[in-house]
Amino acid sequence: MNDIGNIEIQQLSLGFKSGFDTKIIINDLSLNLKAGSFTSLIGPSGCGKSTLLNAIGGHYKPIYGSIIIDGHEVKSPSADLGIVFQQHTLFPWKTVKENVRFGPMRRGLGRVEADRLADEYIQLVGLSGFKNYYPKMLSGGMQHRVEIARALANKPAVLLMDEPFGALDAQMRASLQDSLLSIWKNTQVTIVFVTHDVNEAIHISEHIVILSRKSKSISEIIDINAIEDSSTESFMRSKKADDLRLHCIEMLSD
Amino acid sequence: MIFMKRIYFDMKIVMVRNIFKILGSSISIFLGIFIWQFLTQNDVNFFLDFSNIPTPFHVLTSFQSVVATKKYWEDIYWSMYRIILSFSLASVVGITIGLLLGYSKIARLIIAPYVELIRPIPAIAWVPISILIWPTTEESIIFITFLGAVFPIILNCWDGVKRVPVELVKAAQSLGAGNLGVLIHVVIPYAIPNIVVGMSVGMGAAWFALLAGEMISGRYGIGYFTWESYQLIQYGNIIVGMLTIGILSSITSGLIYMIKNKFLSWAE
Repeated sequence: MNDIGNIEIQQLSLGFKSGFDTKIIINDLSLNLKAGSFTSLIGPSGCGKSTLLNAIGGHYKPIYGSIIIDGHEVKSPSADLGIVFQQHTLFPWKTVKENVRFGPMRRGLGRVEADRLADEYIQLVGLSGFKNYYPKMLSGGMQHRVEIARALANKPAVLLMDEPFGALDAQMRASLQDSLLSIWKNTQVTIVFVTHDVNEAIHISEHIVILSRKSKSISEIIDINAIEDSSTESFMRSKKADDLRLHCIEMLSD
Repeated sequence: MIFMKRIYFDMKIVMVRNIFKILGSSISIFLGIFIWQFLTQNDVNFFLDFSNIPTPFHVLTSFQSVVATKKYWEDIYWSMYRIILSFSLASVVGITIGLLLGYSKIARLIIAPYVELIRPIPAIAWVPISILIWPTTEESIIFITFLGAVFPIILNCWDGVKRVPVELVKAAQSLGAGNLGVLIHVVIPYAIPNIVVGMSVGMGAAWFALLAGEMISGRYGIGYFTWESYQLIQYGNIIVGMLTIGILSSITSGLIYMIKNKFLSWAE
């Protein structure tokens, strides 16, 4: 068991200041995510799930409360907090390999060592044959794989994913979900995964955190591991999973 | 065999097309020269006065005699020297200021008002002041040329920096890049296409300013050559000067185009 990537969110409030007004998006939210866990954040659109994820990544400063990862308060973005964004954010002027080795080289690794790491993670996402391609030459799904590899090459404590597969077709999405699960099992990284797809959340995560727009906080935490009594495939087809889906969808429409 | 024939056939089509293009352009040019010959040979004076304009043949003879002189090549050398020096300065200064304006709020506060105030003044309007300020006319010409080139570069570079997507910056920060890392690995590469556009616009403006400077206050240079030819009533040389300027400015634009291709292979 590893113990890197423990996330503690304490009485967190997030919002934007506009003039004298402050628009509260997340209000007094507390949450603990254990090291090595896989959690999905779902909620109706506009509930602040993406904002919460960005705050964990150090891109928003809390109005109140704090986010503590392994005993250190998050104050700014860092290489420990890997993010995969919804939009494509590969550097178009860098090849796949140059993109993936970007993080390791910022840490001060030499070119040779960084290349070795990049190769390792490019292989992990199954794109060894495309190292010297520019992002433009890859399909959308392949670009997402590179983004995951790039975030992982930093060996982050947590991997934050903001609807990373949102724009993909069903087949590509299923294949990336499987890759992500096996990467998670191999690397033991703590994953926080924002999605609007209930089925995706049930399929890939251990816990589902449902946010509510009304309370601007958590409305329910579902522990899927406790419910899931068989293999993932047969569980997804079971009555229990159906009930869970319906329940989640109800919660989302509140 | 059939495959080879097919390629051969395609090549033939391409060749025929190219020949057609070249032939078409040549006919057009020859027609233009013919009209020129007609207007100047007959001293047409109908609103526009062609009686003092040299004939194409006259220009050709002027060219032949001028090319043999050392002075012609010295003038070309001086103009190229001034363009390259002032354009290089303008690129370094323009890119630096453009990046500062886009990247630093304090710099924007201090520099932006000056840029907005000075930018609308054409470089040529600086000629008198510049002669007064600089110790020699040589420096004043370089200064004017620099002014012509620097603003398009500043503005385009600034614009490029403004367009950098927030997500790319965030991604770089989350990968451990600090301010300098973001500047070098995200902001500058992203702005390069805009910077290149600024440089090609700036190059045009630099030639414009250089020629004005050389005509007004120069002692060497291809602009001076052209103006001097007018004053010495060597009308053939005026056209030779103009054509030379056209060729030189195409060469410098071609250089920028080459730089662009070298840096922007990822965008294709």
